[in-house]
Amino acid sequence: MSRVRLLGTALLLVGLLLPVSLTAQERGISPTEIVIGSTLPLSGPAAYWGTGVGGGIDAFLRSVNDAGGVHGRKFRVVLRDDSYLPPRAVLNARELVERDGVFAIVGMIGTANAFAARDYIAESKTLWISPTTNDIFAGWRNRKYLFVTYPSYLNEGRILTQYAADKLGTKKIAVFYQNDEYGLGLLRGVKYGLSAAKGVKLVGQASYEVTDADVSAQAVKLRGSGADTVFIAATPGQGALIVREMAKLGWRPTLLATFTLGDPIMFVLAGEAWNDVYSTAYFPLPGLGDSKVDQMLATLIRYNAGLARSPYNALAGVTFIEPLVEALRRAGPDVTKDKIVTALESLRNWNGEVSRAVTFGPDRHQGLNRIHIVKSSGGKYVKITDWITYPTQY
Amino acid sequence: MQRDLRERYEQDLALVRGAAAWLALAAALIGLAVFPWYAPSYLVFTAILVSVNAIVALGLNLLTGYTGQISLGHAGFVAIGAYTSGLLMSKLGVTWWLAWPAAGIVAAAFGFLVGLPALRLTGPYLVIATLGFGIAVHQVLTNWEALSGGRMGLPVPQVTFGPAGLTAEQRLYYLAVGGAVLLTWVAFNLTRSHVGRAFVAIRDSDIAAEVVGVNLTRYKTLAFAVSAFYAGIAGALFGQALRHIEPQSFTLVESIFYFAMIVIGGLASIPGALIGAVVLTVLPQQLTLLREWVPLIFGSAIILMMVVEPKGLYGRWLRVKLYFRTWPL
Amino acid sequence: MVDLVQYLVGGLTAGTLYGLVALGIVLLYRSSRVLNFAHGDLATLAAFVGFTVLLRRQPPTPFPIGPQTGWWSFLPAMAGALLAGALAGAAFYFLIIRPVKEATLLGRIVVTLGLALAINGLVVLVWGADTKVFPFPLSDVRVYRLGGVVISQLSLGLTTAGLLLVALLYLLVQRTRVGLAMRAVAQDLTAAQALGIPSRRIFALTWGLAGMLAAAAGILAAPVTLLTPFMMLDPFLKGFAAAVLGGMDSLPGAVLGGWLLGLAESLFAGYISFKFKTTLAFLIIILTLMLRPEGLLGREYRRRV
Repeated sequence: MSRVRLLGTALLLVGLLLPVSLTAQERGISPTEIVIGSTLPLSGPAAYWGTGVGGGIDAFLRSVNDAGGVHGRKFRVVLRDDSYLPPRAVLNARELVERDGVFAIVGMIGTANAFAARDYIAESKTLWISPTTNDIFAGWRNRKYLFVTYPSYLNEGRILTQYAADKLGTKKIAVFYQNDEYGLGLLRGVKYGLSAAKGVKLVGQASYEVTDADVSAQAVKLRGSGADTVFIAATPGQGALIVREMAKLGWRPTLLATFTLGDPIMFVLAGEAWNDVYSTAYFPLPGLGDSKVDQMLATLIRYNAGLARSPYNALAGVTFIEPLVEALRRAGPDVTKDKIVTALESLRNWNGEVSRAVTFGPDRHQGLNRIHIVKSSGGKYVKITDWITYPTQY
Repeated sequence: MQRDLRERYEQDLALVRGAAAWLALAAALIGLAVFPWYAPSYLVFTAILVSVNAIVALGLNLLTGYTGQISLGHAGFVAIGAYTSGLLMSKLGVTWWLAWPAAGIVAAAFGFLVGLPALRLTGPYLVIATLGFGIAVHQVLTNWEALSGGRMGLPVPQVTFGPAGLTAEQRLYYLAVGGAVLLTWVAFNLTRSHVGRAFVAIRDSDIAAEVVGVNLTRYKTLAFAVSAFYAGIAGALFGQALRHIEPQSFTLVESIFYFAMIVIGGLASIPGALIGAVVLTVLPQQLTLLREWVPLIFGSAIILMMVVEPKGLYGRWLRVKLYFRTWPL
Repeated sequence: MVDLVQYLVGGLTAGTLYGLVALGIVLLYRSSRVLNFAHGDLATLAAFVGFTVLLRRQPPTPFPIGPQTGWWSFLPAMAGALLAGALAGAAFYFLIIRPVKEATLLGRIVVTLGLALAINGLVVLVWGADTKVFPFPLSDVRVYRLGGVVISQLSLGLTTAGLLLVALLYLLVQRTRVGLAMRAVAQDLTAAQALGIPSRRIFALTWGLAGMLAAAAGILAAPVTLLTPFMMLDPFLKGFAAAVLGGMDSLPGAVLGGWLLGLAESLFAGYISFKFKTTLAFLIIILTLMLRPEGLLGREYRRRV
């Protein structure tokens, strides 16, 4: 037997694995079910986001199913793990469309992943609801089926910086940022905000890698820059670490933090050092008196007890999928992709259980353009400004 | 029953022996050629990724399996190939059939440079040196934004080739699989030539090899350069498949992955490298539905494979063949 | 000047951790000629076990800062983690390393890689992927000041514990009969067996000891880096590099390598650039290896053809 026959056999085996699923009328829609898919980091260092967001989406849709579904159809969720790797994300997107036959793809975490997958998703004309990124879509033209409900890092950075300059007396600001598109996007936002604020200078910046466990050198460098305010463009792990290092050095500048640090886990990780930190929120935070959000969180935890460890991400997952569920309700029992597009575009200042003021239109597919500023005190966040809007990019 | 007795030296050297083998080869090639017409497009894309990994595995196998030089930084060479071809095509408008070989050559040059310190290092020391190389490449690409576009990545323009009526995936499939077949043939021939014999001599005992007249410097650096060339070509193809390259695709995790491919498939065997590439590309993808269970299952599968058959999957296949050949003894 | 000393202090603290990881790696390489890529995940597993034991004895205080637990509940938890590490190490040896004995060096490396992946997956499954705080009886923010230089109680305690462990290991290996047996088996297995040394037991012991060292490294790392399933990824890599730098068959070399690496990294990060600090670390190592291929304190072996 020849060796090359082996190769041929191996490839044929690949081809024989699991047939493509068939669907009726529209892909992913049958008289009894709607198939929703997502590719998320469910393993690897970013697993905290993937499991939280994915768990939230799954639990939410299960609760909708138990309440009767939408026009008699129940949701089926397919979650694929991409470990935060762009090639896997692209392959997952292809499999979701061609093999799992999904009607819509929800979310996708990571700007690089979204960037790699966006052309394929547009070509396959699949509805794409809320990948967690905005900047890469600003100049892109294939937005017919893309709808995003996620705040813009650029504008968030700008708004927080301007607030600090106007209200907190900031004169010299330094930035502690994650060395990837997420942190860099926020850094750009800070610089954007500084260009409008007079008399405020950027005096230092210190970056870290996602795998870094020790940020003591960064803390020393930031202190050495003479800043009176530090903007933390980080994720909860290193965000807590830098704050603790600063506490060790006995240095306490004004602290600004991006909205991913609005996660209550920060109080556990950084303890008292996380007091008087200014951050932002794009949906009402749990435990602050908004009963709809609190009830939704309780429901999610009822379906999946593990979500109690990542309540913020689970609620974020709900904000990604909610608008689609509402659009399905509005479109009525006869569903096609274009009808859903029209239904989504009809949302004006819509409030869901968790999402607030989602607005789409024929030339507006960026659904969220407002955030409000919160401050941490006494172990929880307190709302200190009203909603601040920013211009939409697309 | 031993059917394939060899009577002459040329027969021993021949790649394909006997009518049955030629038929099988033809069938396999025809199968590969018509595959994209019948398979759904995500499988075609998978096949492209498999080809990319297969090319890297072939190169790494030449270095590690045949020459015995361990490299845990091969993702660095793949990255160099990807970015070279990406930059040439997007910034300088070079066409693909110039850019891709150029990527291979640039990677081979780096391979040569890495091969130089390798002359003095063995075992774990070489592992660290190559590991360091891989990490250095990753960090430079991440931070030197003018060159690589940093974490926002580098978009790669689409390649047009061949007759109309083919989708982009199908075009790339033919390029990728064609490249893989060609490079497999080259690898086969390399291992049968004096170069291949020199490599194996170095692996088995480098001091003895030098005594017998094998120029260690030349062949060790050649091994590194050739394997880097393969990795560079694979990188160029990879960049074209994703049409967007960013440094996060070329980390230590990927280097370990390539390494595992050749060990699980079978070291010092070309079919082994191919099998390893197929299995380790397809298996994790099949497991993506299992979400959080993936690392545990995948890791256990690797352990099981190594415990059951330390010579790799191809070694197990040879044992099976041998069993049937010597049956009923 | 103050900043310089601060960087040095930071570097030494990190370097002690790297040295501890390196010790475990060198111990295993010397005796079994295995590059254990699962060392970091072993440390993580042990740290999580310790965490669970600790939480069972005392519920977590809300919004903790400062000492989060007392010694009376911490020490049993630490003992539990060390025990878990030792058992896991011995288990690896019996269940996995022994059956794979005929494999090449590369094959054994791949086995440990598979192990690393499997343990990592297990930790995520059982404990979740979220970040947790590892309670420690020393305060993170109570600091001691010398001039302008600041060192926290926690860092001081961890560094001291690390140094103590190194000293204990040295005593074990150099001054006890068991240590002698371990060194004999590492030097020449056949000769040691001929002399009547129970090699299987010694191997199991060595692996158990390495597992315990990994557990210690995990416990010392967790309070500072926060407990996540991936916390040992970076320290493991640096520890591995430190082991190679010091010489793969030299235990004091491992510690020295760890300190040098930690210092170089911290100084480079502070004065030149954060972004390339890992690259620099590896560059230094490669340069050192080119000048002295067997590592700083390694012994040069003459190979027979």
